[in-house]
Parts: sequence; C-alpha cells; structure tokens
Amino acid sequence: MRLTGRTSITWRLTALFVIAATSVLLALGLVIASSVEQHFEEQDMEVLTGKMTLAQHTLLQIRTQQDLDHIAQVLDNALVGHHGLAVRVFASSGVVLFTTANAPFSFDQVAANAQRHAHRPMTWTLGQQSYRGIAAELPTGIGEGSKVIVAVATNIAHHQAFMRAFRNTLWIFVSIAATLTGVLGWAVARSGLAPLRAMREQAQVVTAQQLSHRLAVESVPVELAELAQSFNDMLARLEEAFLRLSDFSSDIAHELRTPVSNLMTQTQVALSRPREADQYRAILESNAEELEHMARMISDMLLLAKAENGLVVPHCETVHLAVELRALFDYYEAVAEDKGLSLSLEGDAEVEADRLMLRRALGNLLSNAVRHATPHSAVQVRVAGFPDEITVEIANTGDGIAKEHLERIFDRFFRVDPARQRSSEGSGLGLAITKSIVVAHGGTISAASDGAMTTFTVTLPRAGHAQAMPTNTAKAAP
Amino acid sequence: MRILIVEDEPKTGDYLKQGLAEAGFVVDLVRDGHGGLHQALTEGHDLVVLDVMLPGIDGWAVLRGIRKAGKETPVLFLTARDAVDDRVKGLELGADDYLIKPFAFSELLARVRTLLRRGTRAAAAEFLHTGDLELDLMRRRATRAGRRIELTSKEFALLELLLRRQGEVLPRSLIASQVWDMNFDSDTNVIEVAMRRLRVKLDDPFEAKLIRTVRGMGYVLENPDCA
Repeated sequence: MRLTGRTSITWRLTALFVIAATSVLLALGLVIASSVEQHFEEQDMEVLTGKMTLAQHTLLQIRTQQDLDHIAQVLDNALVGHHGLAVRVFASSGVVLFTTANAPFSFDQVAANAQRHAHRPMTWTLGQQSYRGIAAELPTGIGEGSKVIVAVATNIAHHQAFMRAFRNTLWIFVSIAATLTGVLGWAVARSGLAPLRAMREQAQVVTAQQLSHRLAVESVPVELAELAQSFNDMLARLEEAFLRLSDFSSDIAHELRTPVSNLMTQTQVALSRPREADQYRAILESNAEELEHMARMISDMLLLAKAENGLVVPHCETVHLAVELRALFDYYEAVAEDKGLSLSLEGDAEVEADRLMLRRALGNLLSNAVRHATPHSAVQVRVAGFPDEITVEIANTGDGIAKEHLERIFDRFFRVDPARQRSSEGSGLGLAITKSIVVAHGGTISAASDGAMTTFTVTLPRAGHAQAMPTNTAKAAP
Repeated sequence: MRILIVEDEPKTGDYLKQGLAEAGFVVDLVRDGHGGLHQALTEGHDLVVLDVMLPGIDGWAVLRGIRKAGKETPVLFLTARDAVDDRVKGLELGADDYLIKPFAFSELLARVRTLLRRGTRAAAAEFLHTGDLELDLMRRRATRAGRRIELTSKEFALLELLLRRQGEVLPRSLIASQVWDMNFDSDTNVIEVAMRRLRVKLDDPFEAKLIRTVRGMGYVLENPDCA
C-alpha cells in the first residue's frame, strides 16, 4: 500500500499499527524461540558431558588390554538407567568396542570430529530420529597409543517436536495479534480522527448564504486548532469580500435606480403628446445631463471596483507634492475665490507615487474641503516629511463632521446629509476613491473633526518604502 | 473630410454616423472588421473611428492591417474596457487616440477635429480673432471691440482654447484636461465657475454673447455674426 498521497489517514494509521505490532511480536517470538532452543542444547550438553566424564573415568581405570575387552560390561553398568542415551566406543582402528542398542552412528561420522573439535556438539539425523552428541578421543589406563574414541549422543526428537509446536503457536499468535491490532488500530484511528470528521461536517454547512458560520476552535484538539483557525480566517476574508461585492451590486442598483427612473418618466411624458421643438430640446438637454452624471458614476465605480480588488497598480514616479498641490490650487482657485476662501500651502516633500492617481486623490480632498468650508475662511494644506513617511493634512473650517459619521465618511455613497443625496455635486464616491488610491500606494487616510475644524490626513510611505505596499489593497479596505 | 466608422453595435454606429455627418463630415459606416479593413485600404479616408470588439477580425487586426499596408490614416479607437493594457496596445499598434465607452459625443467630436487638424496646422499664429474679439498670444492680451479685457493666465488659456476650437462644443472634461491638466472629473463645479467668471469679463459688458452653454454637453464659442 502506498502510504502517501490520497490514501485515507485511517487506513494509513491502521497499516502502520499492524506493521509495527507484527514486527515487535515476531522479533519477540524469535528471541524466545532461540533462547528456548539454546536452553535445550545446554541441558543436553550437561547430560552428555557428564556421561563423557564418566566414560573418561571408567576408561582410565582400564589398565590392561584384557580389561578393554570387558569394557562393555563396565560401561553398561556405569550407564545403566539412562534411556534415550546412545554411546559407542571405538578403538582407534575403528572396531566397535562398546555400543548401546540404539546407537546407529558410524566411526567415520565421529572420528574426524573427535580429533578436531573434541566436545563440540554435533547433530546427526538418522532415519526419522535426530541426535545431538559429542565425540572425543580419550586415553585409557593402558597408556599412550591405546586411545579410544567415545561418542555420546542423545535423541532430541522430542525437543524438535516441542520447537515445532512452539513456532506454530507463535505464527498463529502473531497473525491473530496482527489482525486484532488492525481492527483495534482502525477503531482507534477512526475515533482519533473524529474531530476531523466533525470539522468536515461543520465546513459543509458553509455556503455563500451562510459565510458567517465558523468552526468551533475551542472544541477541537490542539493539533487541529490552528487548522480550524486558518480555516476561520479564510472564511472571514471570504465573507468580507463577498459582502463587499454584494454591497457593491446593491449600491450600484440603488444609485442608478433614481436617475434611470427620472430618465424613463421624463422621456415617456415627453412622448405622450406632440410638443414644440424647444420643449424637446429642453428634455433632451436634461436627459444628457442625467446621463453624463450616470456615465461618470459608472466609471468611478469601475475604478473603485478595481481598486478594491487590488487591480489598481500604481506606476510610480517621483512626485513633488508642493507642485501637485499648487496645480490643484490653480484648478480650484476660481471656486475658492467665489466663496472668499484662501488656500494656503505649507511644506513640501517628494513621494514615489502614480502622479495622476495621487493628483486625483488630493484633488478630491481639496474639492471636499472647498465645498464644505465656511465662506471667507481658510483651507490649509500642510505637507510634512518624516524619516519613513510623509503626511498631507488638508483642513477646513465648516460645520464639522459628527463622530458617528467620521468612520463611514470613506464608504461608497456615504453622505452625511441624506437629503443632499441627489445634489448635482458629486457622486458620493470622491472620498472612497481617494481612500482606495491612498491604500493602493501603501498609505493610510483618516479624518478628524473637532466641531468646527475638519482635517483629513493622508500618510504615504516615503520613497523606498513603497515596496512594502500590499498587493491586495482590498485587505486594508474598510 | 471623409471619415470611416467601423462599429458593429447598431445604435452606436448609427448615431456616430449621424452625429459626424451633421458636424459636416462625409461618413462611411461599416459594421464588421473585414469590410472595415477593405474600405480603409481602398478608399481615401482622412480618419478612421475603430471599435475594438468587432465580428470577423477585431479592431486590433484592422489597425495592424492598415499600418502594415503603409497607410498613415489617423485612427481613433473606441474601447469598452478601461484597462491600461488596451490603451497601451492600441497606441503601440499605431493608433492616434482612444476613447473609453461610454463617451460623450462632444468629446469624440473634439478628438476627431484635433486629429484631422494635426499636421495641417499652419505655423503658430500670433493673433486669434473672431468677430470683435482679438487675442494677442505673444503678449497674452485679450481685447474686445478695442477694449482691453483683464484675464488671469488660466482665463486666458481657457479663452484661447475656446477660440482655437470655435464652433466646437467642448466638454468639461476636455477643458479641464487642456487648461488645467486635470484628467479627472471633479465633484466641484470648477469649470462652471471658471466659465462664469470668464463670461463676466468677456460677454457681460457687450450686447453680443460669444460663449454659449450647451446643456448636457459643454461650452462653445461662436461668432454671433456667423451663427
């Protein structure tokens, strides 16, 4: 089984449990088997060595060739009562001097071993029977040159039978244990993964209509808490984007409904009966104004939509703020003079920005200040440079903005006075556009009002810090 | 002046043809890319107004075909997409100007006239006239009926623009970009105020009014004697 990729975690864990348990049990079984076998061998050797020593003592007591001929009797007496024990004594010539009834091994089998590896255990298999034995060349009491070869062996068939049975039991036990671990492992893995399934079930509830649903981070295990948290964060971002999108659609529908219905009514009334050319002209002119207003609103909304989706990429160049602001002063000069306003500028700074976009952002703020300033007051613009940022403050005296409106002042279509909704001035998008441009440049914008004085503050990162600007401006939007 | 319009959207094509014809141009309308390219190559048009989205071959292919054939006919392309890519692509392919839909007809007319005037303009004149109004471009002075009119530099620039394009209705956006270099629509009625102040100086003291507001379109300077 491949333990990577799409294999289910439950099955992976089960397989790993089975493999681990089986290997441990097998190793254990093999160690036990080998130590039991060794124990048997030691037991056999103890008996065999004892007999060999006995034979050695007996042989040393033989002083004459004649005694040697009677060895059979002597040994018979010495070894009496040891069933299953096979003993053979060979003269160095190969003649069998003594043998027990059931000792079927030949001289050739033992002679070489007796000389080279005396007392080393050997195993013989004769017919159905297996024997373990030792052979040794032993001196007799007759003296040098009359050595005999003694082979002592014991039947180990019952040991082997035991080992066979033991191994069989081991195999059966291991396979049963493996199966059992498999089943238990599967159950354990399944119950261990239950929180994951629970998460999946919770996640399945989330749809476009129910983006507010969140996973319960507190109730999932520590290991999954982070995952659940990331998932929740993702949901939060999705929900925000989704809400913004649907707000946007409803805003568009709402804002376009009034002018479209005006156009429709006006045109239908005009067509209801024949009219003078002048009247037609007046209606068409009014329609043209209305349509122009709508076209502007559409292009503004497109710009905003792109900005909020992070599609506005500023083409940065060095912009002298004082130069830009003076150009804007020129533009608004006539309007300001009409209201008896004085425009003043303090300070200067350079900033890396898209000149046209920045001009538009500042233009909107200036236009806003000029429009809301009390006649015969001053609109003050202050530029200040700090080590890593630049601020532009645009202040005017006027009615001020109520605290509860300050936060929403940058929202699309937000108007402090709802009654002025359809004024010819502005689409209600100016400040929203300004904010999106500032944010696209990695800056921030805020508004403050102390009742009479309203101040807008734009903070832009200084040249060189602009790289830090977020690629997704939507994230920073309100 | 003969203009070729390549536009597949029926209403847009029709009103462009009618509008340009009424502005005094000879207009041919083709509704697909292949026909457009064929006409552009075989007929001697002075200007091509080209939509980007076309059946058959698209506007880019038509533009490429025109330039490949070595034709230098000015091309103004119309695009529905407010994408930088589109503008850059069009201008790289050799288009002379572009407009983003929806656009004001007066804006289109102004651009068309600018393109047609390009290359044929005589050496910079020192004086501009209409009726009893005279502009001394060197000394930045305006006089009407022999009387000096005191203008600020922006007012002078505004009057100069109106006078150079007399008879043309100039949309507010064009005025803002030509006089103040502002390429965005302001929430404030800047152009209206500037125009009113200019009229106070230029028209109020005189019987004949030179500047006329065209509601929903913009402003036009006309010599009342010729109207």
